Amino acid sequence: MKLNLLLTLYLTFVTTFSLIAQNIVAGTITDEDGVFLPGASITVLDSNVGTISDFDGKFSIQANTGDTLIVSYVGYTNQEIVVSENSNFQITLRSNLLDEVVVTALGISREKKSLGYSVSEISGDNVNTIKDNNLANSLTGKVAGLQISTAGSLGSGSRITIRGNNSLGGNSQALIVVDGMPINSSLPLGNDGGQRESGANDSGGSPSFEPSIGGGGIADINPDDVESISVLKGPAASALYGSRAGNGVILITTKKGSGSDRLGVTLKTNVYADSPMFLPVFQNQYGQGMLGAPNLDRSAGTWASTSWGGLLNGSQQPYYDGTTKAYSAQPNNVKDFFTSGIRSITSLSVDKASQAGSIRFSYTNNSSGAIVDKSKLNSHNFNLRAVANLSEKLTVDTKATYFTQIVNQRASTTGAQGYIGNLYKMPRNVGIDDLRDYQMENPGTPSEFAVISYGNQIGNPFWQSQHDENSVRRNRFLGYAKINYEFTDWLNAFARVGADVTNIRDNAIYKPGHHFQTTGSMSLQESQFVELNSEFLVTANHQFTDKLNVIANVGGNLSKRSSEGMLLFGSDFKIPTKFFLANLNLLAAPVESPMAIKKVNSVYGAVNLAYDDFLYLDGSIRNDYSSTLSEDNRSYMYNSLSLSAILNRFIDPEQKFFNLVKVRASLAEVGNDTDPYQLVQTYNVPGQGYLGLTTLRNSPVKLNSNLKPETVTSTEFGIELSMLQNKITLDVTVYDMETKDLIFDVPVPAATGFLFNRENIGLVSNKGLEIALGATLIDKANLSWNTSLFYSSNENKVEKLIDGLESFVYNTTTDGNLQVKATEGGSIGDLYGRVFTGETDAGGLPLGSAGPTELLGNAQPDFLAGWSNTIKYKDLSLSFLIDARVGGQVYSQTSADLDRAGVSERSLQYRDGIVVNGTNTGTGAANTVKISGEEYWTAMSEISGNYVYDQDNIRLRELSIGYSIPKVSSIGLNSANIQLVGRNLFFFSKSADDIDPEAMLGTSIGVQGMSHFAMPTLRSLGLNLTMNF
Amino acid sequence: MKNRILILYGSLFLATVLSCTDDFDEINIQPDALSADDISAKFFATNIQQKLLRPTMVPLWFGDVIHPDQFSGQTANGYSGHSLGLDDHAWNGDLGWVYNSFYTDLGSWDWLAGYNSDLTSYLNNVGEGGTLEDEMYFALGLIMKGYYYQLFTETFGMIPYTEASDPDIKLPKYDDQLTVYKGIIADLDQAIEIIGNNTEAGSGFGVLRENDVIFKGNMQNWKQAANSLKLRIALRAHGGAGEDFSTTAVSEAISSGVLADTDALFEGYADEKDIWGGSSSYGDVWHNFSNSQWKTTEALINILKTSADPRLTLMAKPAVGGTIKITKPTAGDGVALIADHVAFVKSTLDDSGLVLDTDYTWVETAADLTITMPENTNYVGLPSRLSPKIKGYMHAKMFSDPADIITQKTNEGKPLFPTILMTSADSHFMIAEAIVKGLATGDANTYYQLGLEKAMAIWNTAPTTEFLESTMGSLTGTMEEKLEKIATQRWLANYTNGYEGWAIVRDTGYPASAVITSDNNDIISFAGEMNGKQAQRLRYGTSVYSSNNTNVNAAISAQGPDNMTTKLWFAK
Repeated sequence: MKLNLLLTLYLTFVTTFSLIAQNIVAGTITDEDGVFLPGASITVLDSNVGTISDFDGKFSIQANTGDTLIVSYVGYTNQEIVVSENSNFQITLRSNLLDEVVVTALGISREKKSLGYSVSEISGDNVNTIKDNNLANSLTGKVAGLQISTAGSLGSGSRITIRGNNSLGGNSQALIVVDGMPINSSLPLGNDGGQRESGANDSGGSPSFEPSIGGGGIADINPDDVESISVLKGPAASALYGSRAGNGVILITTKKGSGSDRLGVTLKTNVYADSPMFLPVFQNQYGQGMLGAPNLDRSAGTWASTSWGGLLNGSQQPYYDGTTKAYSAQPNNVKDFFTSGIRSITSLSVDKASQAGSIRFSYTNNSSGAIVDKSKLNSHNFNLRAVANLSEKLTVDTKATYFTQIVNQRASTTGAQGYIGNLYKMPRNVGIDDLRDYQMENPGTPSEFAVISYGNQIGNPFWQSQHDENSVRRNRFLGYAKINYEFTDWLNAFARVGADVTNIRDNAIYKPGHHFQTTGSMSLQESQFVELNSEFLVTANHQFTDKLNVIANVGGNLSKRSSEGMLLFGSDFKIPTKFFLANLNLLAAPVESPMAIKKVNSVYGAVNLAYDDFLYLDGSIRNDYSSTLSEDNRSYMYNSLSLSAILNRFIDPEQKFFNLVKVRASLAEVGNDTDPYQLVQTYNVPGQGYLGLTTLRNSPVKLNSNLKPETVTSTEFGIELSMLQNKITLDVTVYDMETKDLIFDVPVPAATGFLFNRENIGLVSNKGLEIALGATLIDKANLSWNTSLFYSSNENKVEKLIDGLESFVYNTTTDGNLQVKATEGGSIGDLYGRVFTGETDAGGLPLGSAGPTELLGNAQPDFLAGWSNTIKYKDLSLSFLIDARVGGQVYSQTSADLDRAGVSERSLQYRDGIVVNGTNTGTGAANTVKISGEEYWTAMSEISGNYVYDQDNIRLRELSIGYSIPKVSSIGLNSANIQLVGRNLFFFSKSADDIDPEAMLGTSIGVQGMSHFAMPTLRSLGLNLTMNF
Repeated sequence: MKNRILILYGSLFLATVLSCTDDFDEINIQPDALSADDISAKFFATNIQQKLLRPTMVPLWFGDVIHPDQFSGQTANGYSGHSLGLDDHAWNGDLGWVYNSFYTDLGSWDWLAGYNSDLTSYLNNVGEGGTLEDEMYFALGLIMKGYYYQLFTETFGMIPYTEASDPDIKLPKYDDQLTVYKGIIADLDQAIEIIGNNTEAGSGFGVLRENDVIFKGNMQNWKQAANSLKLRIALRAHGGAGEDFSTTAVSEAISSGVLADTDALFEGYADEKDIWGGSSSYGDVWHNFSNSQWKTTEALINILKTSADPRLTLMAKPAVGGTIKITKPTAGDGVALIADHVAFVKSTLDDSGLVLDTDYTWVETAADLTITMPENTNYVGLPSRLSPKIKGYMHAKMFSDPADIITQKTNEGKPLFPTILMTSADSHFMIAEAIVKGLATGDANTYYQLGLEKAMAIWNTAPTTEFLESTMGSLTGTMEEKLEKIATQRWLANYTNGYEGWAIVRDTGYPASAVITSDNNDIISFAGEMNGKQAQRLRYGTSVYSSNNTNVNAAISAQGPDNMTTKLWFAK
């Protein structure tokens, strides 16, 4: 109702002002993709009258009916237009290909050729044709230098890094900016990476037993609203966004109303069916039991849950539920747990544009089921964008997005206590349907409420996925109002106020009888994040001589970010059948996080000099004032400088071979501040004292009032070539980035009274190479084939930590067998584990190295590559994306656990016993003691070096086959498109057994390179139907 | 004109942006935290006691329950239907006996090494020049420091000590045990001297009363505790290579006055809610996770039974009993071991003093074994360190659980057994030991008897005639026999304090049945690096290899390999 009212208001607003420009011809200039072209020149033929378009591609000019307007823009074909009465032109310039325009920092559209740094842009079609629930995942393989790692399941976040990890303990993930507004990517309070032991705080997912990986910011953006995405890769490109942009920026531009005066209606429906892309390979010869024999008696309490029993020969044997049953293999028991997840995404958009402005409204409904029953995601996204041209000089641009989402039964899937583990480790003779009876019918006593599973204190996957409850509700409002005023044809200014308000409510209930929390427990968490930005930008664009053009920008921004939250946790339900707080016997002291505010004020300026369409020089300067730093340090400045030169006219003036030869170089620096309350030492009152007494303790971290911002500096060189009538394009970039003064909790001697000192230390470098190669292989009227190839490699090195600290442990697996570390001379995410020492104990068991002391690899891949293709034949089109990740290692704790449980196909080896080749430490001589397969695999599974795999994999990531349906005037259908799409179809090759090497335990830095019972990677097959009326 | 106004407004806006940092300091002050002005020393006193004596689930579970409690020979996890559960593979008969960095790091090393920062910040606050300077509080801190370092060094051996209190030394060297013990004694002497005849600590709002959970602020009791600790360390160091202080320290401690009538016990907080972040009890480990239970050991039960000790029924519960059917394996590796395993079950029952056909019945067929015993009647201890191979035979119902007061969970309002820091019983036993060793004069048996009375009093009982008539009832026999009795009684008096119990066994070799070794992997496991030897120490935390590599390696080359079988300086 409210929304309707708002819509009506907007429409009224727009119509009221639609009749102003009587004697003035006005219009909007866009490129073929609908991106507005600023600075295009409009002149009246045979006169001195001329103007240029403003930042939103708009212009107005005095002209008489019958006059001819010439619209020109560098890199685009000129267009002539005859002025008619009441003219309001929507002018689309056709690019002559080399002069691509991209959206850069602060939303400024720039000719790509004028940039001295690397920016990649992809269109909305690239991310909304084959939809993933998280927009971030749709970027995989499409941009050189961008790495996406997934974690968790439906509604979960992803880790987004550009050009490697820059920060040791801080955030290394890219900033997400939507229509110029940075959006908050914070996870619920307390879910700050879960790295309690190490002090690291890179956002995203806990490495504990049950990682709950929040959705993050980008997951809330509706792919259908995306017009284009620019990836600003290095500090040079992103310096104007300030502190948070040191890790690069994903700049999302959403759609505005476009097209003609006519009301455009687009209806899109996507239906996908998801299924597991692959599952681990299980053995089907041996059943539940131990020591090579079936289990004997459940009531004895010595029931083994592993598949180290006897041969599955169909004999009658005791079954976990107390009955006796045929001891036979159930080859599909894991597969049959999963159902087909149907995802259905429907969006409707209405748009209209006129001289008076434009409006676009869209609504998207996402109703998605997962491959596990009861796990569902439902979201509604309302988006309203209205641009009103209030006068020839004054434009108001407003946007309001409301997003509401509920995800049920997402958590508790992964990690040691997740249900995937309990499912995979299920004995090979257990029928999955039997496990559907996970609790006694009509339980009476507390013990009768206990979970029924195939082993003691082992969760039942049905109980965990369907009986326990978990829901996360997200509500998000994003909006802004922007006023643009064009003082003169060369001076333009805008001011904008925007807000991003996110509310997250997270409920989790373990029901009484749960295998781990026997009396049941419940947690309820509420977090709110608000980010307000007020900004202005003044732009002057002046053509000094016919060769020298100068654009100068001066701007300022006030950013206020706040977070607050509350956590309630309790256990022991009074009445075991209802689940709410008041029904808990024990309610732990509530945890309140009062509103924490961070303010950053900034002023910035940029100058772009263009000389003779061949030499471009950009300089930017920004000064931030951060409330999180002390008075002496809070003001910090950083600069960027870049240069590009178009050399074709010297090399190949006739364009016989080269259509574009461009070289570029840039130097930039970005500062990175910290969180609130990091300066002054305080004491915390524990929620509950001891014996009713108030107790106090020091914080383990000694704060530092002299904390400085981290500094990322980057040097980048690039070359761009376009050849053979622009049929082949090549863009090569090399960069060298260094981060110094890393804000880090340095472990200190306990004698200081602290465990860590927060200091600025160290130096981390990232060096890399990015290549983008594009080719038009076929370009016929009826048949075309475009292909592009992306390659990026990055080498990360921890150059220096601090004297006396050679390495830092991010995280240790729960079994202590593997550590993720940063070591001086190594790189962030080095994996250390145990290897077989070549010795056995007296009993013949293989011995592993004492602790996780051996370097086994690194979590970061050596290179990433993507190959995308679009082939069009008449109305048919075929697109596919193949991408590869090469190098980098991952520890598959999944595989170790499957071997230990005796369910993996690998564990069929040595069932008859093995004499381990090595020195027996009992005798000192060669080992002669024979051990059983059970003993062998139990011991080997503790030696993590056996389970570190290369992340190498090549997969058919995306495939779509489309057909454009011709116009059907009778029903008002302008155009329509039907597509058959698929995602994660198959692997061409993969090194790791059992796991998808890109599915990590979480999105925080400390769990990269670790995979433990991740939800199966989904293979999606779907149908898209798009209709434009 | 209009443009100029706009430009003017624009400039004003710009100026505002630049100058508007007035509230920056204010918003960066955390509203829910206290500054140095809000605090008093007494609040910290509770913290340093609680953190060491009633820690969270992690040190209690991964530390005490898994390691020292089992190594002391008083409790046993393992295959009796009781496997604690992070993951079903983790908690088994080998657990604790096979090195696991996760449990050792989190449960013992991180906790103990990390405690230094709490303690040091306390000592810095109340010490000379500190924000909360107070001599008595400082003395209390020194005594806690002595107790802490005793625990720390007796668990790991060489540890950072002399340099660990110097904030300027980032990478402290590791000191040998002799140096640590000497340092503790020096600290205790300083504390004893500071306390003198004072009875109270602090003044006004800061007077220490109930915030001292151990002695309610009675500084004379703290002085006695210091003397008891000094005596304990002197006796433990006695006879160690290169030590020259124990004789003096023993006589000083005894003459200055040990804890003769008061026990240094730390109350459990029955209403504790935050067992992971605050503090916890054994019962929280026992009850909060299904099957996360342990048993009393064969060693403990049989020692109590042999001397008709009245504490038997107070420390342990009778076995559940009833009809217990054990099915013999018909396939797999277990078939060959049936005879050995059945024999072991039989000997376990017989060794515990049960009489066949009186206390239990035994029916064995080719397929199975049925044992019947009256319900909740027999006391039978579980053998330690059971091999996974015998898992199917050691039925939970045959063995005794610890008493309810030990396994009482928090938050049910019921009393919890306190944490034992130091007892008057131990003081008397130690004086008896000193006399037997010729380090003090007097009648050893008198002190032994006093010790027995005090030790039983903790369990609200007294020595019975039957007990006093047993061999354990009086300090008779050869010197070695006397030392064995004293050690055994000290070990019993420290029941639930696994760290001290384990130290007594390693120091004296008694009780012999608590020295857990194995030479038959089919019954008692010798998996892992220990190869069946006794657990002598825990390995250092893995973090030290990255944070202080040079010094830890120096310690290893002096002390021996960083494994669990390397004997410590004081050990027999």
